[in-house]
Amino acid sequence: MEPILTIKDLTKSFGTHRVLDGVDLDVHAGDVVSLIGASGSGKTTLLRCVDLLEQFDAGEIRLDGELMGYRSDGGRRMRLSGRELARQRSRMGMVFQSYNLFPHLTALRNVMLGLTKVRRLPAAEAREIAEHWLDRVGLANRQDYYPSAISGGQQQRVAIARALAMEPRLLLLDEVTSALDPELVQEVLLTIRRLAEAGTTMLIVTHEMRFARQVSTRTVFMDQGAIVEEGDPAIILGEPRSRRLKEFLSSMAN
Amino acid sequence: MGYALDFAAVLRGLDQLLWGLALGLMMGLAGLAAGSAIGIAGALAHVFGPPPARALVRLYVGLIRNVPILVLALFAYFALPQYGIRFSNITTFAAVLAVYAGAYLTESFRAAMITVPQGILDAGRSIGLTGSGIALWIVLPIALRNALPSVGNNFISLFKDTSIAAVIAVPELTFQARKINNESFRVIEVWLTASFLYVGTCALIAVALRRLEARFPRF
Amino acid sequence: MQSFLDVLALSSAALLHGVAITVAVSAIAVAAGLVLGAAFGLVLTYGGTVMAFPVRVIVDVVRGTPVLVLILACFYMPAGIGLSPGPLTAGALALSVFCASHVGETLRGALLAIPLAQTDAAGSIGLTFAQTLGYVLVPQAIRQIAPNLVNTAVEIVKASSLLSAIGVGELLLTTQEIIGRSFKTMEFYALAGGLYLAINLLIATGGSWLERRYRLR
Repeated sequence: MEPILTIKDLTKSFGTHRVLDGVDLDVHAGDVVSLIGASGSGKTTLLRCVDLLEQFDAGEIRLDGELMGYRSDGGRRMRLSGRELARQRSRMGMVFQSYNLFPHLTALRNVMLGLTKVRRLPAAEAREIAEHWLDRVGLANRQDYYPSAISGGQQQRVAIARALAMEPRLLLLDEVTSALDPELVQEVLLTIRRLAEAGTTMLIVTHEMRFARQVSTRTVFMDQGAIVEEGDPAIILGEPRSRRLKEFLSSMAN
Repeated sequence: MGYALDFAAVLRGLDQLLWGLALGLMMGLAGLAAGSAIGIAGALAHVFGPPPARALVRLYVGLIRNVPILVLALFAYFALPQYGIRFSNITTFAAVLAVYAGAYLTESFRAAMITVPQGILDAGRSIGLTGSGIALWIVLPIALRNALPSVGNNFISLFKDTSIAAVIAVPELTFQARKINNESFRVIEVWLTASFLYVGTCALIAVALRRLEARFPRF
Repeated sequence: MQSFLDVLALSSAALLHGVAITVAVSAIAVAAGLVLGAAFGLVLTYGGTVMAFPVRVIVDVVRGTPVLVLILACFYMPAGIGLSPGPLTAGALALSVFCASHVGETLRGALLAIPLAQTDAAGSIGLTFAQTLGYVLVPQAIRQIAPNLVNTAVEIVKASSLLSAIGVGELLLTTQEIIGRSFKTMEFYALAGGLYLAINLLIATGGSWLERRYRLR
């Protein structure tokens, strides 16, 4: 079966610092891939490259076989136009560490915006879809609240609903519980677990090792911009082979 | 010394002073409305436009903010008619006020636009909005609200600037005060009254603005 | 009919004189405004209710009154008590008070924005209040308000054009006199605008040079 997402030899530098150093990764339909590693290892940058929020220097990303972000023009690599990039981005969903809800819109309107302005659905239909997804994340009773009036955990669940309402081929989650107060983490993790059980394809950057082990079908450990180990979560997290993964896991345990 | 305060002459002219005040408020409101339209367009062009548009906005703002409004008003009222552009003194001054306020409001709206957090813009891009979609549906509504205090302060300045219309004989408050001054020589009473009316109106506007701001959530 | 350049050649001395008056009266107003404004700011912040109240009234009244009304008031009102200052004196006074009120309010804001811990720290190493003010608070406040002062100076130069309304022979009145003789309305108002622009750009450039020189940013 063809993978949904194919990343080949992805390379990116900030100045002289190489943040991504030849990353290869495939994600198949129904995969839940957890991406772990110390801060600065390149996980978030990888996710932002996949969502086309960052440019990259070499390598390629394909979604359902389509080359993402760039086209080849007589052998020269050209960034796509803003309109093309927007179209490609709309096929993936991203959830951010700091929620990034639109502060001037209610929860419902946050979810509806992409439906009405990107997919150009009629307002009534967009509203129905948005209500459905807010219900799925357990926030039907908060749909008319502004982001500033609900908790961080609720905001993050609205953000998840906002991404899912666009029916993305792939959901990208970037440390979605890191900015939350400890008592709000579980509600968000539970929401993601339900999505995993429903077969949503996800690429998850996380610091929650237990969650990674329980929810993901595959775990990928990154260090210094490269993938060091990957495989079954129980094996990666339970029987690490490389010294760097061992060090990382023991630092997380403390 | 030995000056006995006598407000009789001022009170006889109070009608004119108050009508003058109303005229000033109306010119200020017209200037604010048209100036806001200019300011929003200018800020959008500066933040989202191509380099030439940005340069043009910079030129406009730099030019207008460094030239006295009285020079602009005299230019518009006396020089432009030679080229067939002729309006009444009230219309001319309101238009000058709009162009003048537009430069300051461009800066107000621009500041509110560039302080929209990058993460919010990323979220907009992530759901597939194009640059113009982000400008229209995310940056603009947030900036309109967050620029409100600055726009309010601009309105107070603008209202005070309407006094300058007296120089081209617009019968607003300052013009009427000077007329009473010249006719009655009640030099202390008339300027105390004029100042009181301006200060009081500015204070009332400030209170109203604070109420207005409290009614909308800040983002 | 004379050409613009002919008129300009004939009137250049008058124009330069007008520019000189504009610059001089603005400089006086800014200098006097800084001194008086510093006093206003200190009294407003540390003066206590009784001392601060009259200053508060002055500052609020001046800031709520249009500059043109301040100028006309300073020009006409003294006659009521038998004084007759010339237009230049009245105008300089009005602009100074205007400048002082803005500086005073800005300084107060800057002083209040300095964390109280700074005062505590200064006290704990044994500085008196005056020393704390001079060595700790005012230097930080100046750093804060420096860009604001440049703006105020530009506003004063622009406001000085209003002195033409009471007959001070500054740049704008000189321009109007030249236009009255030559009817080169468009050209000379544009020239006056250009000269104001040049003066203000010089102030802005000088201001940012000073800020860099003293590492205020």
